[in-house]
Amino acid sequence: MSNLANLQLTQSGELRHFLTPEGLDRLMLERILDTADSFVVVGNQEVKKVPLLRGRTVVNLFFENSTRTRSTFELAAKRLSADVLTLDIKTSATSKGESLLDTLQNLRAMHSDMFVVRHSDSGAAHFIAEQVTPDVAIINAGDGRHAHPTQAMLDMLTIRRHKGRFEPLSVAIVGDIAHSRVARDQIHALKTLGCDDIRLVGPNTLMPQGIQSMGVSTHNNMDTGIAGADVIIMLRLQTERMASAFLPSAGEYFRLYGLTVQRLAQAKPDAIVMHPGPINRGIEIESAVADGPQSMILNQVGYGIALRMAVMSMAMSGQMQQRQSQANQPSSLIGEQK
Amino acid sequence: MSILISGARILDPSLELDTVADVYIRGGVIESIGDLAKVHADTQVDAKGMILSPSFVDLNTCLRDLSQIQKGTVASETYAAASAGFTDLCPSPDTQPCSDTGSVISMINSKAEAAGFCNLLPIAALTKNLKGTALSNMESLSRSGCIGFSNAGYDITDNTVLLRCYEYAATFGLKVFVQAQDKQLSNGHMHAGPTATRMGLDGIPVIAETLSISRHLLFMQHTGVQGHFNQLTSSAGVALIRQAKAQGMKVTADVGIAHLCFTDTAIQGYRSQYHMQPPLREESDRIALLVGIKDGTIDAICSAHQPHESSAKCAPFAATATGMAIYDMLIPLIQGLVDANELTWMAAIKALSFNSANIADIKATRLAISKAANLTLIDPNHSWILDVDSQLSQGTNQALAYQTLKARVQLTLKDGQVTYAV
Repeated sequence: MSNLANLQLTQSGELRHFLTPEGLDRLMLERILDTADSFVVVGNQEVKKVPLLRGRTVVNLFFENSTRTRSTFELAAKRLSADVLTLDIKTSATSKGESLLDTLQNLRAMHSDMFVVRHSDSGAAHFIAEQVTPDVAIINAGDGRHAHPTQAMLDMLTIRRHKGRFEPLSVAIVGDIAHSRVARDQIHALKTLGCDDIRLVGPNTLMPQGIQSMGVSTHNNMDTGIAGADVIIMLRLQTERMASAFLPSAGEYFRLYGLTVQRLAQAKPDAIVMHPGPINRGIEIESAVADGPQSMILNQVGYGIALRMAVMSMAMSGQMQQRQSQANQPSSLIGEQK
Repeated sequence: MSILISGARILDPSLELDTVADVYIRGGVIESIGDLAKVHADTQVDAKGMILSPSFVDLNTCLRDLSQIQKGTVASETYAAASAGFTDLCPSPDTQPCSDTGSVISMINSKAEAAGFCNLLPIAALTKNLKGTALSNMESLSRSGCIGFSNAGYDITDNTVLLRCYEYAATFGLKVFVQAQDKQLSNGHMHAGPTATRMGLDGIPVIAETLSISRHLLFMQHTGVQGHFNQLTSSAGVALIRQAKAQGMKVTADVGIAHLCFTDTAIQGYRSQYHMQPPLREESDRIALLVGIKDGTIDAICSAHQPHESSAKCAPFAATATGMAIYDMLIPLIQGLVDANELTWMAAIKALSFNSANIADIKATRLAISKAANLTLIDPNHSWILDVDSQLSQGTNQALAYQTLKARVQLTLKDGQVTYAV
């Protein structure tokens, strides 16, 4: 899907929006990971700030509740020395489109440089980048069940820092694939980075139709699904799935798909366990696993800040370049016409 | 006033006629057909290389009046329809206010009469305000000229109410039009398949359609009502209609032109112009719909024209309005299918005129002497750009905006009067 690449990159191939890893090539994903690696160090310094976004205005636009993602984005922007404004905007179901359009155009008029957007509609960030404010860098902080690219990329950073190369890895993604905005981006990123064995594990009610077309295998049985895996990514199970008849009960789900110490033994002995958080202990994961030596759950949080710093600084620089080249182009054309 | 159309390829599916001839029209009727080189007329049209056919009848359209005039008016949309070759339209009852009373119907009718571009053959609401709870005054509405009853895109979930609808319609021999979509299962935004999965959009599975078709077929069978299905979308849906026809049921069906031309992959990139209800499905479904036309399972092609103002399509995908403005691109879309050898002009014209007229219970026009001159003249080679200057529908939801299109109606005649000329 080259249109996805076109939308996210400048004419010279630099990142200017980050909406999804889909459409970006391996080199770009590796550059994001390399840049993030360099920022992991910043987090360990006494003064945790770099001046890359000094004088730039970053607006966190959260149309949907989120504590974790919002706070890591805020922290990432502050560590890059940006001016940060965080807005929690509840949308009314009836006038979603209109209020979104109006809000954004107002914020743009305030000369914002970057929007970090979380919205309950799939494609919301895409819509903003393409049609509303293309001259503001857009970072997708989660849209509907479509994408959550910074979460997916921080997972890639976690895997690379602990496992090295992606080619030989077997990765199992377990749980509510259907409603997960992260799973799709994880699949795109893993594929692009060279991982061939991606297994999705869950019951049919949580497995989206036609997902195999993304080049993954699907497993209803947890034991065979995670057998010999190097990486196990557990997805969060929303409790409302029981109310809406996707699952009978948390108890049955845990018995069939919960990650226990005993079950983890099916995977490789050095397998790592990941989870985007917040975790439901006793529903998708046993405490002994979540807090155990193979768990990367807290490491992921720290990498999340570094990864978000990387993406924000790269997109801001790409967007500035684009603005500059656009500012130069039309004026010279007008000059020629005269 | 007299008109001479010379040298056109004349296509009349009712007579299986495909020939080149001149047609002379006077006093609203076709006066002669043949080699009329010596005949003089007030208006002479050189139609070499063009197609002359009976005018079209649209079994499903939205004109937006009375209170959605930001999307379109009866005047603007009937003129756009004339520019696509239509003289008769069956407006869907999901108007605002709803087409469930004689006064709404007569107001819409009088606007159409004043505009003068198309005759209306309204479909009235099957239930009051399309709520699916109380019957509309069907008998009275049929006296005000409504040719059928439908609940448009609003599924009647209560089987008791639906049974009463069919029983009451059967009492008076009224026809029921169905847009087959199960309410709960169609609570998504596009066809359930790999594209929806990839884009993270809620899917509408094919069973939303097949379950509803089966259910309505059983009610039709049980009550003897003659039913018509609007806007089939799926291969499995076509198969159900084929089976019903094979069993001798008097059921008919149509397909929207968009479903013959586009598939769900067109939505990639969250292109809201392709957000439709019922949804665009997969390539195998599109092919099955074309086969359905070829073998007669699908009788008619409708426009399913749904004009919108620009802000209706300017939002995150799920929040955008559904439907396409079709009239401006109908003829180019058919030409595209003809060029791809997927449809013949004869089959298209049969589905747009002869068959749809029969379903709407009006006399189909024939290209024969002394018949009323309801005619459409199409130039299949006319190249033009669809933009704000050339489009006639008020709807800005033109999926092919700014593209160069091939084929265009040159002339539409309603009872010998020119309702559209390019």
